[in-house]
Formats: sequence, structure tokens, C-alpha cells
Amino acid sequence: MISRVAEGCFWLTRYLERTETLARLLDVHHALHIDTGVPIQNRWRMLLEFTGREDDFAERYGEDAHCDGELVQEFLTWDEEHPASLYGSLRGARENARTVRETMSLEAWKAINDLWLWLKGPDSRRLYQRERGAFYERVTRSAYLFHGVSFGTMLHDEPFTFMKLGRALERAGSTARILRAHAALNGHEASDAEAAASCLAVLRCCCAYDPFFLSGMHPLGMRTVIRFLLFDHTLPRSVIYNLDEGRRLLFLLCQHDPIGLPRRSRSVLERLRGGLMQMDVRDVEQQGLKKTLAWTIEATDHLCDAIHDDFLAAPTPWLRHCVRALALTEGSLENRGWAA
Amino acid sequence: MTAPPLHDEPGPAEAETAPETAPETPVARGSDPFSGYQPLPDTYDEFFDASGRPHPSLASAIEPLREIGRPEFRRLQRLASSNFLRGGVTFSVYATGQGDPDRIFPFDLIPRIVLRSEWESVERGLVQRVAALNAFLRDVYGDQRILHEGRVPRDMVESSSGFRPAMRGIQPPGGVYIHVAGIDLVRDSDGRFLILEDNVRTPSGVSYVLENRVMMRRVLPEFGAGRVASVEDYPTRLYEAMEAVAPTRHGEPHAVVLTPGPLNSAYFEHGFLARRMGCDLVRGSDLFVEGDRVYARTTRGPRRVDVIYRRIDDDFLDPEFLRPDSVIGVPGLLRAYAAGNVALVNGVGNGVADDKAIYPYVPEMIRFYLGEEPILGQVHTYICERDDDRRYVLENLEKLVVKAVGEAGGYGMLVGPRASRRQIASFREQIAAAPRNYIAQPLVELSTVPTWTRSGVEARRVDLRPYVVTGDRSWVMPGGLTRVALVKGSYVVNSSQGGGSKDTWVLEDEA
Repeated sequence: MISRVAEGCFWLTRYLERTETLARLLDVHHALHIDTGVPIQNRWRMLLEFTGREDDFAERYGEDAHCDGELVQEFLTWDEEHPASLYGSLRGARENARTVRETMSLEAWKAINDLWLWLKGPDSRRLYQRERGAFYERVTRSAYLFHGVSFGTMLHDEPFTFMKLGRALERAGSTARILRAHAALNGHEASDAEAAASCLAVLRCCCAYDPFFLSGMHPLGMRTVIRFLLFDHTLPRSVIYNLDEGRRLLFLLCQHDPIGLPRRSRSVLERLRGGLMQMDVRDVEQQGLKKTLAWTIEATDHLCDAIHDDFLAAPTPWLRHCVRALALTEGSLENRGWAA
Repeated sequence: MTAPPLHDEPGPAEAETAPETAPETPVARGSDPFSGYQPLPDTYDEFFDASGRPHPSLASAIEPLREIGRPEFRRLQRLASSNFLRGGVTFSVYATGQGDPDRIFPFDLIPRIVLRSEWESVERGLVQRVAALNAFLRDVYGDQRILHEGRVPRDMVESSSGFRPAMRGIQPPGGVYIHVAGIDLVRDSDGRFLILEDNVRTPSGVSYVLENRVMMRRVLPEFGAGRVASVEDYPTRLYEAMEAVAPTRHGEPHAVVLTPGPLNSAYFEHGFLARRMGCDLVRGSDLFVEGDRVYARTTRGPRRVDVIYRRIDDDFLDPEFLRPDSVIGVPGLLRAYAAGNVALVNGVGNGVADDKAIYPYVPEMIRFYLGEEPILGQVHTYICERDDDRRYVLENLEKLVVKAVGEAGGYGMLVGPRASRRQIASFREQIAAAPRNYIAQPLVELSTVPTWTRSGVEARRVDLRPYVVTGDRSWVMPGGLTRVALVKGSYVVNSSQGGGSKDTWVLEDEA
């Protein structure tokens, strides 16, 4: 498929995943009650930290403004200027969808276009004012709808595979980021109650609350939560689950490659996944959670860059080289998919 | 009759997108929306005669529409608008820089109906015209017989802004220049179809024909049942035509649709056609030329391209060729075209054939190339470049319609009988300064079709753009895009000037 279109598919789901994650995070933190014991100032800072917009926010509203929950929510939800806000990331998803509309089913397109038209219209603002939780839930549910509808109505071929790949890598990255943001704000001085509340919040942010208890993980504590969110092969938002998924999808995408086509992304993924597979939670504690997470996040970004070079934006000189190489053996290669 | 069943709840977007309607006059549900309908004087109304009786051949088709009351009609109209917006059936207006860039093309629920018996001669006339225009292009970019024999003046051709002398001697694959034509037709006060304008470069609008039909089936599923000709074939026919002209010796040709990108007002259509034909939708930057062959950048390296349905104008197609500043084109594309390694749909240089000042010579082309008499009439045209014509035009501006030859979309147009003195004076100056750029025609009283307006059903003027697709033979889509001037009294149907559209039915005659 056309590289640019593959790029659109890849980014459509990355942006949509960001929208969904941010909506869930906002919902979880909005609903953290007094009895959970998380200090109010940290509750909202974690979100700014997660989106990487702490400085941005402080610059606009002042150093202490992060205690103002309404302001933080307004900023992270509605800021039209920034692509990392809920509004901005949904716009990114919808813009990408528009440029790859020809590869999507009408149902899948409508799922995302309806959400966008609603968010842009007056009804969403009214719901936001009246019933905050319902507002965020509507966003997350629309994203689930898109995943289900695209699964049920689109061809399971290349465009869809790139959509799934974008989503998997975005999930791996955002689970690591959620852990990092919580770790940054819950130092050693946190009380037991605070630590427990924080663990529960992290689980909720990753749709892992029920699964955690179902999986028989206990006792509840940072150690088990880390093990679950990093290393569990059955949790759809764990880091390793999404690397497994990415590995499977890359295999599918390379299945019909002509011989000799370099695919750096596969080795980058193997290194990252292999590195994590060798670890367990004690290793993580030994080298420090922050360091492990930083490494994971960086390696995931690096993987996305490699996918970019391999599939989405191969450099022109290289493509010309392929054509010239082909010209020497024309006919023999034409039937193998290189230039049919 | 009760309202047809709805297959869909109104979408969440409905409340904000519903067009403002006038304060509702209390009309009983089921009251005839056509009661009190008045055809315009001296104008052919396609539904009703001057006394307000339906044309006998259409009476049974119109009847069911009478049974939908105004409130129900309004509801269905809102439902249609909301569905277009949700489905992304929009055109983008980015230039104005205000409001939402995505607008829907206003859709009127009352269909436009043409009987099969009337349509057959239109169809033959269109095929004949496209054949002559194609022969003209082959000749102009070849031996130029028609110019040598003086049947079309050489200076009119060479001064045309669409003429591309560099294309002389280059034979497009299969000798086809005009794979897709959109020929604009109007009906005069006697109801006769006349050719108003030829569009043989990159005519747009066909996606609305297909989407209008889908919408019609959805909101009024019971009407016209079984007697309306299907339009759904179009993408298949276009793909077949592309296959037929592919200069390919290896297997299935790789065909693509080339778009300027999502900022183009017709972007929806480009994606729509690509989707329906199962082609890749590409931009200039997705293609490159190596060794006079065109390749696409794919996730598996370069892939050869054989046919390009391009929706980019000639000027921007190849920065090496015409506009070096073009960022939407493909450097080297025309070298590949000249080498015969890629087919372009439509051909390059077609603008000389649909130049409004060449239009008066088309009947002569039909006689010259085909040895036939034109089947369809056309509007008498004064060419301002000619001294006699210009003198007449300048003396009669208030009676005439003046058009700039290179403009489209209803821009650069003067409707004399409806223009202010200042507008007329301004055109007088422009014509005197650059006569080659203008032609003039008597005002045609475009036919009308009943149309929903804020104050009920009223007569509004329409035109028709049928599409002719040519590969190894020509095919005419039954019907086409009916555009309607929604502004009261207006003659201008373009979407940029307050136009809307209607579903167009070619209806089997009753036995």
C-alpha cells in the first residue's frame, strides 16, 4: 500500500488511543475521592506530567495553578492549540482518518466522524459542564466503538494492520508513561494509604483494575502493579502484551516482502522485547523503576522511528536505487511484487 | 399514505447541522406541498404545465410526493443533511477562511425526472459530441487538418489558454484524450435539451450523483420503485476505461487516482472514486519518475504505475514542464507520458477543446470528423474576438450573458438582464481590453423543477451535467448531476454561488 496512507492509518489509531487514554485518565482523576488520600496537588500534576505539559501549563497559568482541578481539566480537554489535548488529539485522529478515508469502511469512518462532530458541537460542552464523568465516558466508549466497528467491518489487510500496529505501540508507550508519572509523584515519603490509592488509580488508568484482581495478583502494592502492567502477557494494555502484538503484526506486514528488503524495525523490536523478557520485577527495582521506564519509553519511540523509515517514509534515493537494481533484472522481479 | 419507515435514527450531529428553516406555517400533515405551485412565465417547467397540471407522462411518478406533508418533508430534509455530514460527503471551502471548512452540497429531496424516451437522443448526442471533441484534440495535436482547411481558425486555437503546443506529436495510449467528459446541458423554454458548455479537463461532481441516489433510497425508499435507471455503474465503467488505455504488458495494470490533497474542494470525490474502483488514492509526493517510468512509494518499496486518473490541472501536473512552483505535481511525469509508459486520464492539453470560444465550432467538428449532423443543439455564441460579434455584444450587453472563456464555477460571468449598470460598464471595459477572453450568449430561460424553499415548494432553475466515460467505447451515465439555483430567480447553479443538487431520474416510460 501507499506509504503515506499507511502512515495515516498508523497515526489515526495513535491519536485515537491518546484521546481515549487522556479521557480515561481525566475521568479516573476526576473521580478520585477524598478517602483515597492522594494529596490534591499531586492528583492533577500527574496528568500534566503524563502529557508532558507541566511547563507549558505553569507558563500559562502560574506555578501553583496545577492545584486547580477545573483549570487542569479545561486545559487538557479543550485546548484547541495543542495536539496533546483531548480536543487536539481527536482532531489529529479525524484528520488522519479523512486522508485515509478511502481505505476505511463507512461504518468505521462514521464512528470517528460522529465523535468529532459531537465534540465540536455544543452538546459535548453541555455534557462536560453537567456531568463530567459521562462526558469522559462518552469519549472512551466511542473509541471502543471504533475499535470494534473497524474490526467487524474492515478488511483485515494492510491498512487495518497498520491501524493495529499504531494502537499497540501507542498503548505500550502510554502504559509506561502512566507508570512513570505516578512513580515521579509518589516518592518514599508516601503513606501506605496514599500508595494504595495511587496503585488503584494506576490500575484504573490502564483498564487493569478488574483484571488485576482476576489474575490473582496480590498483595496490592507497587511491586505487583509494576509486574502486572509491564510483564503480563494477557493484559491488553501491558507493555509486553503490546510488544507481542507489535511483533506479530510486523511479521504479517513483512510476510510478502521481496528478498533483501531491509526491515530494521523488526530487530529494534526484538531487542526491546528481549530486554524486557529477561527482566523481572526485582531487576526493575534494582536498576530503579524510573530508569527502566525511561529505557522502555525511549526504545518504543525508537521503534516507531524505525517503522517510519521501513514502511512509512522510505528515503527517495533508496527507492530510486531499488528501481535501478530492478531494471537490471526486469521481468524476473516484476512478478515478485517489487514493481508489478 | 404514511411516512416511509426510517432506517436510521437522526444522528447526534443533527441538531447543530440542520439548516435553519423559516418559521413554520401551520400546515396539516399530508397536505399537498404542490398546491399553489406556480411555474415561471416563458419558462419550461419539467413537472407542471402553465395551468398547473402535471405533464401526463410524469403524473404517476409525482403523485407519491404529494402525500408527504411539509413537516415530514422538512424532517426528511434534515435527516438527509445530517447523513451527508456524518458520512463525510462534503466539499471543502478553505479559501474563505471562516467557519467550518467542510460543507455539504445542499440536496433537494424532489427528484428531477427525465423520461427514457427523451434521454435516448440525449445519450446519442453526447456520444457524438465527445467523439468529435476527441477527434479534434487528436487532430490539433497531430496533423491539424481542420486548421489547414480553415474550418476552425488557427488563431483561435493557438491563442487558447488550454492549448499545449508541446503536446504535439505525442499520441496518448489508445488515441483517447477525453476519458471523462462532463457536458453541461440545459432545457430551453420549449423543453429542448441544449449543450451549454463542455468540460473535458477534470470535470467533478459525479460522486454527488451516486451519493444523492443513496440518500434518496434511504429517506424515500418507496419512490420510483423499479423504474429508475441505476447510476451505480459509474466507478466500474471508469475503471474499465482506465484498464482499456493502460500501456501495460505485464498482468493487471496498476491504476491510481491522483489528488491535489485534502484541501482541494473535491477531495471527498477523489477518495470516493478511488474507494469504489479499488485504486490507491495518491498525491504527487507519493509518486516518482525513474527512467521515464512512474512508480509509487509503497510499504514494500517502489511499485510501477500504469494509469493515472489525475484530478490535478495540466499546469500543475509536472513542475519540470509548466509550473516550476507546483508542489502537488510529479517531476518527470510528462516525460513518462510522452514515452508512452503511463496513461493520463484525462489527456494533457484538453483545455483547447472546452474553451468557451472554441465551443461555437463544435457542430463544425461533428460535420468535419464524423460526417454527421449534430444531434443536440447548442446556444448561439458571440465570440468577442471577432469584430462584428464584439460590436453587437457591446451594444447589447443588457440582453446577453457574458462568460470569461477560461473561468469555471460561475465566476467571471455577467447575466446582463439581471446586472447593475455598474457591472455592465465594468464588463464593457474588460471585453474591450481583452476580447479573446470573452464570449456572449443570449439568456436561456433555464427550465425549472419544483424545489423545497423556506416558503414551500417553488420553481427553481436547473441544469444537468451528464458524464461520458470513454475507454475502447463511450458510455453515458443515465442522468447525471442536476444542479439547482436555490436563490429565487437566479440562473446560476454553481455550488459556489448558492447552488444545490437533486437526484436525477431517468425513468422508464410507462408501457
